[in-house]
Amino acid sequence: MAISNIPLFSMLRTRMHWHQERQRVLAENVANADTPRFQPRDLVAPNFDPRRPAASELTLTRTSSAHLAGAAGGTRFQLDRGNGGFEARPSGNAVSLEEEMMKVANNQMDFQAATSLYTRGLGMLKTAIGRR
Amino acid sequence: MDFLKSISIAASGLRAQAGRMRILSENLANADSTAQGPGTDPYRRKIPTFRSEVDRALDAHVVAMGRVRTDASDFRLKHEPGHPSADANGNVRYPNVNPMIEMTDMREAQRSYEANINVIGATRRMIQRTLEILKI
Repeated sequence: MAISNIPLFSMLRTRMHWHQERQRVLAENVANADTPRFQPRDLVAPNFDPRRPAASELTLTRTSSAHLAGAAGGTRFQLDRGNGGFEARPSGNAVSLEEEMMKVANNQMDFQAATSLYTRGLGMLKTAIGRR
Repeated sequence: MDFLKSISIAASGLRAQAGRMRILSENLANADSTAQGPGTDPYRRKIPTFRSEVDRALDAHVVAMGRVRTDASDFRLKHEPGHPSADANGNVRYPNVNPMIEMTDMREAQRSYEANINVIGATRRMIQRTLEILKI
């Protein structure tokens, strides 16, 4: 049984994947902070509610070698286009650097929490198999 | 690895902002470059543009410098009859560069640059945290 089959670890893994993806989206927003007509984006937080199973990784199957492959490693988290933040500048750019910085810091701290939990979980497994 | 993608995206932002700084400093340095002779134009202000492009390898919207445009506004006129490039009325045409605008623009470039650096720092710490899982 792989470690990732344990629910705690699989959830943390999903969470960390999400933070990783979100960091990418936020980096895009910050890099394009001065590009005309750029709308900032964000990701919808993953949902671990057992009553509402998350959308599984549905991908298109290539039935012929002539088909184009989808974008490699495309996101499996939902994009949240939102309403474009508070303000849009005359150039049509709606990125607010302060807001993005807050999100980046937030993302980093939550990621840290997830990795700490993961570490603790591994420690617990170690205790269970009798090694300290 | 996906974190390296984030860093590459932020690096594209750094590159674009640095390019913008280069254009701005060119404008500032040439703020008083008059024409060579009475008939020719002095230095014309340059405007950096940005565009968002999809990087196939990164699968992300990176930013790149677009074409550098020129500012079509009028040149500043100064009355300096003794100047070698003065016209018949004694007026000299100076570049259409306003140092105040360039300084403000430079501030903005600096702010965006720092924001990108911030993203790189945050991503780096996240990578570090991931590696620390190994160290228990």
